[in-house]
Amino acid sequence: MTEQAIVETAHSSDANPVGEARSLGADARRALARNPLFWISATMIFIFVLMAIWPSLFTNTDPTEAVLSQARERPNSEAWFGRDIQGYDIYARVIYGARASILVGVFTTLFTTTIGAALGITAAYFGGWTDSLISRVTDIFFAIPLLLGAILFMSAFPSSNDPYFVVVFKVVAAISLLGWPALTRLMRSSVMQVLPNDYVQAARALGASPWRIIRSHVIPNSLGPIIVVATINLGAYIALEATLSFLGIGLQPPVISWGVSINDAIVGLRTTPHMLFFPSLFLSLTVLAFIMLGDAVRDAYDPKTR
Amino acid sequence: MRRTARTVAIAGISAVALLATACGGDSDDTTATDGNETTAAEGAAGGEIVVDGCTPENPLVAGNTSETCGGDVLEMITARLVNYNADDASPENDIAESIETEDNQTFTVKIKQGYMFQDGTEVKAQNFVDAWNYTAFGPNGQTGSYFMSPIEGFAEVNAEGSTVEELSGLEVVDDYTFTIRTSEPVSNLPVRLGYTAFAPQPDAFFEDPESFGKAPIGAGPYQVTEYNDGQSIVVEKFADYSGDFGGQVDKITFRIYQDQDAAYNDLLAGQIDVIRTIPQSALIDDKYQSDLGDRNTQRETGRFNYVGINTVVSTDLADPAIRKAISMAIDRETINEQIFNNSYTPATGWVSPVVDGYQENACGEFCTYDPEAAKAMLDEAGGYDGELTLSYNGDGDHKAWTEATCNSISQALDISCTATPVVDFATFLTQLGNGEMTGMWRLGWVMDYPSIENFLAPIYAEGADSNYFGPYVNEEFESLLTQAAAAPSLDEANALYQQAELLLAEDMVAIPMYYPKTTIGWSEKVNPVTITAFGRPDLASVTLAQ
Repeated sequence: MTEQAIVETAHSSDANPVGEARSLGADARRALARNPLFWISATMIFIFVLMAIWPSLFTNTDPTEAVLSQARERPNSEAWFGRDIQGYDIYARVIYGARASILVGVFTTLFTTTIGAALGITAAYFGGWTDSLISRVTDIFFAIPLLLGAILFMSAFPSSNDPYFVVVFKVVAAISLLGWPALTRLMRSSVMQVLPNDYVQAARALGASPWRIIRSHVIPNSLGPIIVVATINLGAYIALEATLSFLGIGLQPPVISWGVSINDAIVGLRTTPHMLFFPSLFLSLTVLAFIMLGDAVRDAYDPKTR
Repeated sequence: MRRTARTVAIAGISAVALLATACGGDSDDTTATDGNETTAAEGAAGGEIVVDGCTPENPLVAGNTSETCGGDVLEMITARLVNYNADDASPENDIAESIETEDNQTFTVKIKQGYMFQDGTEVKAQNFVDAWNYTAFGPNGQTGSYFMSPIEGFAEVNAEGSTVEELSGLEVVDDYTFTIRTSEPVSNLPVRLGYTAFAPQPDAFFEDPESFGKAPIGAGPYQVTEYNDGQSIVVEKFADYSGDFGGQVDKITFRIYQDQDAAYNDLLAGQIDVIRTIPQSALIDDKYQSDLGDRNTQRETGRFNYVGINTVVSTDLADPAIRKAISMAIDRETINEQIFNNSYTPATGWVSPVVDGYQENACGEFCTYDPEAAKAMLDEAGGYDGELTLSYNGDGDHKAWTEATCNSISQALDISCTATPVVDFATFLTQLGNGEMTGMWRLGWVMDYPSIENFLAPIYAEGADSNYFGPYVNEEFESLLTQAAAAPSLDEANALYQQAELLLAEDMVAIPMYYPKTTIGWSEKVNPVTITAFGRPDLASVTLAQ
């Protein structure tokens, strides 16, 4: 129970020394529960996720129903957010657009975090030539700008006529391919901080296998930073997907996405800005919600900022 | 062989027909020297203007330019045998003294004496023949070679790796006379000769074609004085211009823009004087009219947009009745109103209304929106199962209207239709050429020369370059084209071409969509600008206000 001991001593200097012994995770959860920022962002994310899973809960209008004769109509009682250039109901488009954005955000985060964490831990734990190899490969990928790389990838594998999930996963793959190096570096340094600790040394001395040490000692104590960065990144990935779709190489119709809507609406910037406003607003709110959540999680996991 | 890559950039050829009569009358151009400020009343010649341009695909060689970016400049610097009138595109003799024929197959061209190139040499018959041979010669890879195809001996000269450098159909009689012999009778050959690919080239060109492209020499009213790659091309008035179609202002700068919105914003800021097209963003709700006041104009031009189907690949669309049903399911009026903001005209046939030989309503009821009749017709033809696609080139501005077209078809016929982008125009054409494109696809046509023939033969004739319909082969259509080409008079030829057009309606080879109009705008610095029948601002007639 060395781990428990060390955590306890680490926290003995806390502002709140009274009360039972708590793990870092439990402590963070408590801090989160007290943070209004967390509750605001969590509520927003809950709504957006609900939108992604069950759009018909929010609207009865078919997002693919075009009433061309009413195209570019301003917001009114029938079409709450107005209609876009094709005569689609913008409210319905925005609701249905959440799915693609959130799918891309979540899956990209999942992939980049998994790859990044695995490589980071391997590099830091085994050190030596393994570390050198992984670090150099990371550097190579790091040198390619994320957006540029994603544009190259999407142009090399243009989507046309692909089914929904193939289109979405192509974008996920494009972003994941170049998104992991930052997380690898972060995980590597985070693990390197944990490794010299006594409890790791003790476990090693007791003959624990590397896998056991990593699983029960290293991961729980080094995961904090990567959770924070991953949550903030999730928002950034959604924005990146919108950028790619805006450039016309990300998600393609018939997939409905905010980036595509923004791209289609840009011609109306000077004349009918409502077409641009609503998808942009939802995009901003989603990105903001995830970044706020990331912020709240960081505050919770980092005792120094408390 | 001009297909439009984008609806905004007017591709193609054509003549910024140089100002002929109107403004020539009040010619006080004696005061207009060296671009000095002219304080004369409105309409004075001289001064300089800036217009928007785009990067030429190829060096500025007349026989190697088949897109508007280079074409715009070449129109100003070259003179051809005939000049197209700015108003109605009718051909008028320029360098040619006369073009005569008795059988529509052998043409005798006499040219004016003393017509000067910008390097001080005289335009002679040999300059035409050499230029055309050079353009037609396969190993030279000139994009304008297609225009030489009617001339006898073309197939041999144009072949890849050909060693025959001279067209057997061209013969120099003396310095000012040459003859053209075509392999088939071509009744409208004189009309074609005004296209820039038929411009004469000076001897200097053949000595060094490479460097010529940056500093071209023509016989036109303007000459290139500066060529800054990717930034601007400057042309100035040629002092010893010999023709009758001179320009007004002393200096025209083509400033190169990548983005039409940027050009438009510069126009609003007074940075440039004339723009070729109004971007979509300013067309919405006629924004440009409130931005520019009365400094804009619109005109129907020689262009045609259609939706095609390769019936060999897409056998489920092979029945003309299904294609007619699709055509009737497209609400062209509403799409024009909402997507194009009335800057197009819904098509009623396959030939642009601006050309000689246009007949009204060739398509008839099949180009009129009638969802019930369309549905009934489709059901009668056995219906259509499966997914319909409408492919477009993603680098052009086609997404909005193809999507709206698909929505219109889906709603009327209850079949799923998706507008599908293909990465760029080059890939798009390759797929069309290889017969890989399934479903429907969009394509545009810009006339090369003002004739009904140019809207029929190069697109639907058997073996034609742009016959992507399978190809479309119809014996009756072929024989009408042949008869028309050999017809003794233009009127008789046109009547036969019109009959051929009606066959297209019967077979619904291509679904007519629009005749695009051209909308241009200008700054406060210049007097009202007109648009030529080819859809260009008539730059030669532009004059400075005050």
